[in-house]
Amino acid sequence: MVIDKNKVKRNKSWDKFFRYFFMAMALLSSSFIVIIILFVCSKGISPFLPNYEYGQVDFISFLTGTVYRQDQGIYGVGFIVINTILSAFLALLIAFPISVLTALFIAKIAPKKLGAIMQNVVELLASVPSIVYGVFAAGVITEIVKYLASLFGYSTFGGSSLLAVIMLLAIMIFPTLTSLSITAIRSVDPSLEHASLALGATETQTNFKVVLTTAKSGIFAGAILGLGRAYGEATAVAMVAGNKLFGPTFNPFDITRTLTSTMLAGLKETTGLDYDIRFSVGLVLIVIIFVSNFILNFVKKRIGNTV
Amino acid sequence: MKKILSFMLIALLALGLVGCQSSTPASTEGTTTEGTTTEDTTSTTIHVYTRDSSSGTREAFEGAIGLEEGALTSSASEVSSNGDMATRVGSDASGIGYTSLTTDFEANNIKPLSFEGVEASSETVLDGSYQMQRPFNYVTRAAGDYSSDDLEQLVAAFIAYITESTEGLTVIEENGGIVSFENARPWSEVAQDYPVLNQDNSSLTIRTGGSTSVEKVIRAALESFQPLAGNVQFAMNQSGSSDGHLRTLGSEKDGANAVEIGFASRPFNAEEDVTSAMASGSFCLDAVVAVVNAENTLENITAAQLHDIYAGTLTDFTEVE
Repeated sequence: MVIDKNKVKRNKSWDKFFRYFFMAMALLSSSFIVIIILFVCSKGISPFLPNYEYGQVDFISFLTGTVYRQDQGIYGVGFIVINTILSAFLALLIAFPISVLTALFIAKIAPKKLGAIMQNVVELLASVPSIVYGVFAAGVITEIVKYLASLFGYSTFGGSSLLAVIMLLAIMIFPTLTSLSITAIRSVDPSLEHASLALGATETQTNFKVVLTTAKSGIFAGAILGLGRAYGEATAVAMVAGNKLFGPTFNPFDITRTLTSTMLAGLKETTGLDYDIRFSVGLVLIVIIFVSNFILNFVKKRIGNTV
Repeated sequence: MKKILSFMLIALLALGLVGCQSSTPASTEGTTTEGTTTEDTTSTTIHVYTRDSSSGTREAFEGAIGLEEGALTSSASEVSSNGDMATRVGSDASGIGYTSLTTDFEANNIKPLSFEGVEASSETVLDGSYQMQRPFNYVTRAAGDYSSDDLEQLVAAFIAYITESTEGLTVIEENGGIVSFENARPWSEVAQDYPVLNQDNSSLTIRTGGSTSVEKVIRAALESFQPLAGNVQFAMNQSGSSDGHLRTLGSEKDGANAVEIGFASRPFNAEEDVTSAMASGSFCLDAVVAVVNAENTLENITAAQLHDIYAGTLTDFTEVE
């Protein structure tokens, strides 16, 4: 075979071209993040600067405040941060065991056909738009909460409550968490399982002590993504949160207010400080997501290292 | 570490199971009316619903009941829209809220309350006996202060369309405004005074500003006016009632935000001198109605009672009778 030097040269230059082309695409997509963050930052920080046109807002009282009322000109997001973190983590707490066990069933225990069908169902759930979950929550979950509250002798705001938000978010993060757990469980080396079984462990023992412990890093990655979704969900949450004016809310039957529902309420009708402050709220949300991702990643590493 | 992990897992599992158990019986019975009736008898604590503070309806409501800005009780729940308000109050037996008169009360399971003994309807609003109402006002730039004579003519024609013509009034009524057809004339008759309507006006733009509450009505009116007026363009920049005067006759009339017609969802006040305008007045009325759940036995409410409920001093429906 004769090597055509020209052809080799041409192929090499094509390679070069594509390398730069891909790099340009990567730069473009990453620059979007930079632009968005810069824009949100410049808008969100402006109310705290001394020469802000609608009157400077005190940064410390904004971060630690327990009242959020535009009519009184008081913007405090401290309690909203607590509400947001509380609802997201409690949702994760409910969704986590259900998701992991579902994933275990689909990946290890279920017959092949049933497993495939169930995996499709889970993936279908992941692609349902959040507004649909919101409608479901407003119509069904609120009724359930109303009934539960009447058992305890509470009267709720038509079912809108912290509990409704938690239940809604748990349902919404379940598919994400399950899909990632399935992937993590499937990627466990079969020889590990065989070794465990050969040593006399039962299947259940193997599943819990070998499969899950080996897959926990991947499962944790799912938890991080799920938590991100719980933090960021706006439309559906706003439909059942009830937007309380002060807080924090710890009673599950009381209405609550999350960062996203705060940003969304009346966004299109408002101007001035009340509009700009929503960017500050968004900034707070971004920081919370960064920090909790960082913490969870740290925990993930710690857990991953001990085995 | 393993032991801690497995313990955590068990704890999580237990929590998950508790969650499942408590929600299963509810899903079968929660939808029956039994749940809501028991709740109704056990508690009559009023749940106060309000719109977010940028809402024009809230502004009108708080004005009508004399609630000072910022005096609202903190235990109120903020809803995001008129429809949201109707749905929430409709599913909360001890809720109270307020909506626009155009809301479909029955479909939302809510009941409109009479205000000071007067039932809300377009008749009682027009004759002034129903007091929880407000005018939608317009003001134009001063005569001669337009970029072209054609534009001035078109603005005058649009004002005539929404105030005098049967067609214009119908559009306003369909979009929630309360109007009187007493002096209405067919558009074909009104249009004769404005020959500018017969030429192609697609290069001209009518800009509107001011109150956000009028947006829906005025957008519909402008959209239906467009084909009648040689395809004139329009640009709406509604930002609040105070900008209505400011951007037509006030200090911003020659600025970047200047508009041809400004709107206010309240009467123009003493500082807003509209005498120099080419035209100014009210083109329709808007009414706000206090609403409760359909199960509530309450029929009538006074401004003082609403004030106390929204200020948080009156917290039980049994005290309202």
